[in-house]
Parts: sequence; C-alpha cells; structure tokens
Amino acid sequence: MSNKPSADTSEGFSAFDRTTSFWGPITLGLGLLISLAAALYAAFGTGLGVTPLELITAVGAVLATFGIIAVIEPVSYFPILGRSAMYQAFLIGNIANKLLPAAIVAQANLGEKPGTRRAELIAGSAIIGAVLVHITTLILLVGVLGTWLVGMLPAPLIATARTYILPAIFGAVLLQSVLAMKSRRTTIVAVVVAAAIVFLAVPLAPSLTYFATALAVILTIAISWFARVKTAPPTVTHAEETSAPDAAATN
Amino acid sequence: MVHEAVDPGSKDITPLIHHPVLWAGAIGVFAVVILQSVIYFRAIRKAAPAADLTPAQVTGSVRSGAVAAIGPSLAVALIAVSLLPLFGTPAVLTRIGLVGSAAFDVAAAGISAGTQGAQLGGPTYTQKIFAIAFAAMTIGGLVWMLTALILTPILSKGGAKLRKVNPAVMAIVPTAALLGAFFTLSFQEVLKSPVHLVTMLASAAAMGVCLLLAHRLRLPWLREWGLGASIIVALACAYFMTSAA
Repeated sequence: MSNKPSADTSEGFSAFDRTTSFWGPITLGLGLLISLAAALYAAFGTGLGVTPLELITAVGAVLATFGIIAVIEPVSYFPILGRSAMYQAFLIGNIANKLLPAAIVAQANLGEKPGTRRAELIAGSAIIGAVLVHITTLILLVGVLGTWLVGMLPAPLIATARTYILPAIFGAVLLQSVLAMKSRRTTIVAVVVAAAIVFLAVPLAPSLTYFATALAVILTIAISWFARVKTAPPTVTHAEETSAPDAAATN
Repeated sequence: MVHEAVDPGSKDITPLIHHPVLWAGAIGVFAVVILQSVIYFRAIRKAAPAADLTPAQVTGSVRSGAVAAIGPSLAVALIAVSLLPLFGTPAVLTRIGLVGSAAFDVAAAGISAGTQGAQLGGPTYTQKIFAIAFAAMTIGGLVWMLTALILTPILSKGGAKLRKVNPAVMAIVPTAALLGAFFTLSFQEVLKSPVHLVTMLASAAAMGVCLLLAHRLRLPWLREWGLGASIIVALACAYFMTSAA
C-alpha cells in the first residue's frame, strides 16, 4: 500500500507503522482473549455440566457453516481498509454497514481515494469517530435504556420476541443478501440445495440435522463453482469484493 | 446478581445471561476498543504532517466518521434491544454491538442450540442451551479476528499476489456460502410452525418495502434501518397471531 514516500515524510509514516503494527495486533488479540475467556467461562465455569464434546460439536457445526466466510471476509476487506485499519475493523465489527461508509465519507470530504497513505490516516480517524458514537449509543440505548425497557415490557411480549426472533431476522437478511449479491445463478443453486436438504434429505436421514447448514454451504459452493459462467471470468474490483460478503452476513 | 441460581435445566435464563463474569468480559472488550482508539488517534496525529493533513483535518475526519456512524449505530442499537430477552445485556453488547453481527451471531446460536436438539427462545431454551450457544457463537466469531490477525501481515507483504490467484474464487465462494447458509437456516425455521413461516414472510416483506422506498425516494438511511424495522414488524405480526389464537 506504500506510495514510495519521500525521505522527510517516510519518517512520520514509519513511526505510524511501528505503533500500529505493534498495538494493532495486541489490542485485537486482547479482544480475542477476553471474548474467549468469557465464552469458556459461560460453558465450563458456571457449573452447568456442559461437556467439552458438547461445546466442540456446537462450535464444529458453526465453523462448518461459517468458517469459510470467516476466512474470506478479512481477505476481501484488506484492499479497502489497509493494514492499520484491519486491526480496528475486526475488533470493532459492523464493518460493511458502519465503518466503511464512515471512512469513505471522510475521505470524500478531503478529496482522497482509498489506497494512499493519506487516505489510510483519514480512514483511521473516521473509524475512531464512528467508534465514539457507536459505543455511546450502545451503552446508553442498549445497556441502560434497553435493559430497563425490556424489564418493563409484559412477559407475553418478551416470550414472543424470544420465540420468533430467528424468522424475524432471517426473512429480512435473506432478502437483503439475495439483492446485495446480484447473482441469480448462485441464488437459484442455493434455493434448490437448501430446499433439497431441509425438505428431503433431513426428513429421510434425521442424523443430518446438526450439519444441514454446513452441508448446504459446501454443496452450494461446489455446484455454483461448476455452474459458473466460464467464458467471461468475473473481474473482481474492490467495490465488488466488499459487496460480496457485505450487508447480510457478518461484521 | 444472583449467580448462585445457576441451574442447567432452568428455563429462567436471567441469572446466567446477567452473570457478573459475562459483564466483566463485556466491559473488558469495551475497554480494549477505547484503548485502541486512543493509541491510534495519537499515532495518526503524529503522522498527519507527513500525509499533508492539518490537525484540523484530522479532527474533521473524526467528526465526519462520527456523524456518518449515527444512523448505523442507532439501527444496530434497535436490533440489539430486540435480542436482549434472548441473550441478555452483556452478550448482546459484545456480540451484536461490537465484534460480531446480528445475522451471524443469531444464526450461530440457532445452529448450536440445534446440536442439543433445542431451539432458541422456545420451551427447550434452558440455561445450558444459552451457555453452549453463547460460547459457540463467540468462538465461531473469533475466527474472523484470528484470520485478520494472521493474514494482515501476510497480505501487506504479498497481498496482490495472493488475490490474483483466482478472482472467480473470491467472487463465487463467499456469495455461495452465505446464500447456502441463510436459505437453509430460513427453510428450517419455516418448518417449525405456520407462525414462523408468516413471521419470516412479514420480515422479508418489510425489508422489501424499506429497500424499495430507499431506492425510489433516495433515502439511503432507510437501507440501514431496514433490518431493525423488519424485526419489529415481523415480531408484531407474530405477537398478534399468537395472542389472537
């Protein structure tokens, strides 16, 4: 990402690179360790009798479904974010819907395009601004007001929210992903594969239930790959890379 | 908080979802994010002259980032509040608010509950199911962080080479993985009950209306609010259907 800075500016940048390549991984790693500790405590420290095998099975089912996306997404964000902001983005989350728009607006205000060192610093500043607003809203609206609000709501309403939250989220996410992906071929493959697995394969072989999603992911990837348009290989621009894992899924 | 009330089979998940250790974890993650922002801000200010940025331009960029984040942050907060009854405040603050996202974490929690033959939120949703779901969605989410940690230095050195390997892979694999996962998860929900089916259709319809209005009336903020609004509309439908029956 370096633009071959001249001698006097390279000093300023190398200090920045030293700081962020040291503290970036440390803070991201700290966030990772704290999350891991809380997760392991919830499973094993609370005396609920969760066995390691039960947790491994659950994690295995999650990773079999989302593991590939979890590896590909950071790779596709790298060209837009640049090295230093990668450590910010994957600690903070909500990348596609919050951090990228914030960075792009700030860069546009100063007439800068992604890819330069100047743009990298502007993006870093914008992300800091976004974090300030985000943390404040979370603490006030969710931590304080939300917890109070949920305590005030009548029990049947809470029960409904708990029981039907999954379809309430998936309906919107599904439509949004289909529209964001703009890939009719892959959408058709996904619908057919998912329907075949959920409505045919699982009723016939109930032991598949645990890994139905993972199986669907692998089959959809394989079939979409072989059914791709081979005559005109898609040229991946930066914009398309973001819109691919964008919106619906993660972060 | 009453963590002595922990009981694996208990359907009252309140003691566990507000466990002091989960609160400590949430506060820890918030503290790390703030620490990182402070370190980065100081580093950026120092490097700014080398990039032809005045201190005023740096502050201005922080401000534009903050303003741009108001809409998305409120939208995320709305989604987070609707998930509070299911996961509790500390888990929602860290998983949905920071680090993770609603779509991945809820899907991961549902998949984890499934490995125990249980469903989120329903009568089979016990303290033990919450513990497994929370642990599995957190550990699953760590893969993103781990990938970013490992691949960022590698990509900074030879990123261009790695991405040139095969652009078709980068274009097809994430799309296929995502659509395959969410269609399967959605179809599984549809099978649970007619109310689940209608709730999902209501959610998709509400999202459709939001996206259409956003496009037609050029209201980009409606795009960000789409998910939050759709969840509220869909849950309202579910409530009226179940209370009418």
